[in-house]
Amino acid sequence: MRRGRLIAIHAVLLLTAVMTLLPFVFVVNNALRDNSEYYRSFFGRPEAATGLGRVVWRYATADQRALVIRDEGGEARLVGRAEAAGHYWARLTAGSRRAWVVLRPYVLNSFVVSGLTALGVAVLGSGAAYILARYRFLGRNFIFGFILATMVFPGVLTLVPSFLLVKQLGLLNTYWAMILPYVAGGQVFAIFVFRSFFAGLPEELFESARLDGAGHWALYWHIVLPLSKPVFSVVLIMNILGTWNNFLWPFIVNTDDRHQVLASGLYTMARSAVAGSAGTMFAAYTLSSLPLLVLFVYATKPFIRGLTSGAVKL
Amino acid sequence: MSRPATIRLFRYLSLLGILTLGAVLLWPAREAPAVAGAAPVRSPSGERKHVLRITAGQNYLPGSVPQGIGQPLQGLTRVVADFEARFPDTKVEVIAVPQEREFLVTQLSGGSAPDIVAVNVEDVWVDVQKEWYVPLDRYLEAPNPFVVAQGDPAAPGTRQWWDMFRYQAITRGKAAPDGGNYCVSLDMVETGIFYNRTFFVQHGLRPPDTWGEFLTLLRRVQELGKVPLLANVDSLSDWGTDLLFDQLYYDLLPGIDVKLDDPVRAAYLQGYLDSDELSFLHRKGFFTRRDPRYVELWRRLGELRPFLTKDVNALDLTREFVTQQAVMIWNGSWMVYRLHADRQLGFEWGVFYLPPLTPADSVYARGVPMCVIGGVGSQLEVTSSAVSDTDPALPFAERIARSERLQRVVSLLQFICLPENTARIVNEYPAFIPNIVGVPVHPDLQPFVEILKRRYTTTKWVFSFDLRFTDILKRTLHLYLTGDIGLEEFLHWQEANVTTATANFLQRKTIDLTPLERAWVRLAPVRAGYRDLPPEVQP
Amino acid sequence: MKPPAAGRTRLSFAASCHLLLLPSVLLLLLFIYLPVMWAFLKSLYEFEVGSKARFVGLANYLEYLVIDPPTWPSVLNMALLTLVGVGVRLTFPLIVAKLIHSLPFERTRYLYRLAFLIPIVVPGVAIQLLWSRMIYADYGLINEVLRTCGLGAWTHSWLNDPRTALTALMFFGFPFAGGFEVLIYYAGLSAIPESVNEAAALEGCTGVGKFLRIDVPLVLSQLKLIFVLTVIGGLQGFEGIFVLTQGGPGFRTMVPGLWMYYNAFAFQRMGYACAIGVLLFVVILGLTLLNLRYFRSAEEMQGGTS
Repeated sequence: MRRGRLIAIHAVLLLTAVMTLLPFVFVVNNALRDNSEYYRSFFGRPEAATGLGRVVWRYATADQRALVIRDEGGEARLVGRAEAAGHYWARLTAGSRRAWVVLRPYVLNSFVVSGLTALGVAVLGSGAAYILARYRFLGRNFIFGFILATMVFPGVLTLVPSFLLVKQLGLLNTYWAMILPYVAGGQVFAIFVFRSFFAGLPEELFESARLDGAGHWALYWHIVLPLSKPVFSVVLIMNILGTWNNFLWPFIVNTDDRHQVLASGLYTMARSAVAGSAGTMFAAYTLSSLPLLVLFVYATKPFIRGLTSGAVKL
Repeated sequence: MSRPATIRLFRYLSLLGILTLGAVLLWPAREAPAVAGAAPVRSPSGERKHVLRITAGQNYLPGSVPQGIGQPLQGLTRVVADFEARFPDTKVEVIAVPQEREFLVTQLSGGSAPDIVAVNVEDVWVDVQKEWYVPLDRYLEAPNPFVVAQGDPAAPGTRQWWDMFRYQAITRGKAAPDGGNYCVSLDMVETGIFYNRTFFVQHGLRPPDTWGEFLTLLRRVQELGKVPLLANVDSLSDWGTDLLFDQLYYDLLPGIDVKLDDPVRAAYLQGYLDSDELSFLHRKGFFTRRDPRYVELWRRLGELRPFLTKDVNALDLTREFVTQQAVMIWNGSWMVYRLHADRQLGFEWGVFYLPPLTPADSVYARGVPMCVIGGVGSQLEVTSSAVSDTDPALPFAERIARSERLQRVVSLLQFICLPENTARIVNEYPAFIPNIVGVPVHPDLQPFVEILKRRYTTTKWVFSFDLRFTDILKRTLHLYLTGDIGLEEFLHWQEANVTTATANFLQRKTIDLTPLERAWVRLAPVRAGYRDLPPEVQP
Repeated sequence: MKPPAAGRTRLSFAASCHLLLLPSVLLLLLFIYLPVMWAFLKSLYEFEVGSKARFVGLANYLEYLVIDPPTWPSVLNMALLTLVGVGVRLTFPLIVAKLIHSLPFERTRYLYRLAFLIPIVVPGVAIQLLWSRMIYADYGLINEVLRTCGLGAWTHSWLNDPRTALTALMFFGFPFAGGFEVLIYYAGLSAIPESVNEAAALEGCTGVGKFLRIDVPLVLSQLKLIFVLTVIGGLQGFEGIFVLTQGGPGFRTMVPGLWMYYNAFAFQRMGYACAIGVLLFVVILGLTLLNLRYFRSAEEMQGGTS
């Protein structure tokens, strides 16, 4: 490829990437600043980070002189290096610490809900798809149609009655109010994807295993599963993304704070008294992104492999 | 080791590290200190017979930092701790709930509401027939046991809990249309126009005495290059509507107040037009495009349009006032705290109340002083969750009589109302005026104490009908105030809105309008002298 | 497909299959079919949570279609937002994916892919809050940049100004590259066999021409997927609007889904909300059928020509 062209491509991509990521840079930056800094200027560097840098520099250069710090009322004091470091560190992390106290239970709840949902979808979805794909039995097509037909029902149609149903079942303010409907809805897409993949597996594999005396369970466990890792990664990641980000349903079915998940908790938080402190909110946005960031850093490759291998027919 | 193997090992190790770190951070090891808002603030756990869950509204939420200034609130936590010390079998959890009404509705219908909620009692009124709330009259009319236990026979509360409240009229005026009292009013809030006194002095300006002077003042400030008035759609649709309504309809009240003989509230709410009356009057042609006063109301409110900030839906109006881009802000007494605590404010401020419309300003006005629009701030209601220890099959009244848990919930409210306890909660920061006799008022709130001495408002439009009414009013008022729709279109919306809301109200409540009709006929001679009534009722 | 294992009767085998499928089917019956039927039924009633329902026939439908003022503006908003959404989601991410894909080194490709993935890990509601409180806010990014450039007169309260709110919603997420779509398109481009690229190169088909004539037709199934997802999302999605503008100012950004939500959970008009839901369902069902028909014929055409 010509050099000039390559540079042009990089320029376009870099510009797009910067525009996409810039807001998040501001988020992280402002997570480290307090309200008065944020009010005074929008783009500035965190004062606490600058201060901390100064202290570190004094340690590095073995400079023993005292430093000037300002307390919340704006009064200046002379303090030693260690105390200054503590002061700046406390200021730098104030927002994150405050945000974490609020977010911690939400993150745990999100793990429970998204984790159990993903597990349920993987088990139910792959199991049902396996049966539908590899066996011929009375009513198979009807059941498959019955499952697929649910795709035409939009979420808005069922939002209100689902709420009434969950209320009727006495599930409000429980994990099940989220997990069960999520699994019910999520398995449909999973069955669809799994089934087309399982149906495409060569029959000879099953044939030879059967000759070795393998039962249905062994076939599923020893032949289907090892071959389907990329499909599983795609289905699971798509499912986790969906449940992790869903905020309206948890917002409706959790009327107390105990089972609120991250997405709905963030919204609640943004509408609560905490929102008055900008640093705390920005820290909350940052912290709330970390779990999926970890997931993606470690799971992008199998995910893309799953998408590109042709295993998943969308 | 080969390179890919090293990379893989590194990946696993780093993942392990991250997961461990995550687990450590997430580990619910010790009781987290109450630092920030939405997290539940829990008392030390342990097996208790009663676990009461209460919300105290946003204003007193323990651990929250009001308006992002100063130390996290602790007052309510301390009071609750004292209560738990007195009742070792009881644990009280103070929880935060979002302010959205959809939450309350889902909670109450799901039976999972906190035992005590803090919402505008007008929102409670519309749902009392669903038996979602416990009427508190029998407790309010009885002595407050904690006052009795203190042994001072002269102390308010010895005879009746009612006597403890400072603002009797406003507090008792919170009775629901069915006559029952569903809330305990801890504090008062009042609105006023905060102004930059330094700026006023510099430019020889002074607080206005009439509506006309007010508009002149706004125009002067605008010419000086500042935003004259900060007020958002929420306050204009609520306070603005009611204040102007009162000014324009004041003269008519003797001829249209068809419920003068309200036995419960007449003594306190003279001339108040409740939802029944508003619905009745609308059927007579009031509050339509043909009602000249109604048109005048919105025209007058629209006069403020050029002087408002660009964003009439802004989340944080205070900012422009504090940074001196704007000179006046219409806000509640809670802003005193914001200004009081800001050490870098750099200007003096004052408060004035809205001036009256004189006959020179409007043919419908008489120049009577503007009425009070604020009133009760934190309103604490007891929900049906409090009787959850009784058999749901029993009638509600029976459950209320039998419930031990309810007794404890009421005790908590009675305990909170002790002056020393209310002082700890309400006076933790200067924002609201305590409604309990014997609790001192912060000196900075004095202007609002003066305002509260005024006459009570005639209407509370946004609390009179369903939420749909309020929603549409706010939405269309926003468009009207930004100049996006004109007066005609706005009136078109509003008339339809009132018609739908009153029809729904009458249908839901199935009230008997015949006594109102009788009063209406009786008042005909009074109305004979009135001019500019809607054509339907023009004598 | 294999016939059932020997030694069992056909019927009992079918029964065991059914038994294994039972959990899936039951969940669907309970959490999807039952609510759907309930919605249809309740749309004929007027009822409030906590009160008795009252049969009103088709009055709810009539009110929504004929009387309720926000209906038609909100339908128009929905159509506009969906159209724009489809437009940007079929172009911007595809171009970005193509540009990344055309880079020579896997390492740089990986880095770019990762960069465009980062917005996915941020919870959607956080991104929405971020845009409303930081980018579009009165003292937000856009206005601060304008002020810094001395263009203070151009500042708007973007989401609260009736003239700009809908446009601001359309530009939410600009430059539209921080989503799932880039990855989907990238996967599609990666799946194009090397032989096709070589053949195109031999015939001198490169650059934009190749992109339009070779790449775009070959990622058609991905484009179709994004198209369908965006249309469905546009018709029934309202979470973003709920967080960003609450449908305001006025009804300038109201959509039917959000109005349904308000009626159900704020105004307590459950039956009316169900009626709106049913109408939306009818629209979505219609589009789905249309879509199936149109796309099948397109595929058949493709199959016929290649």
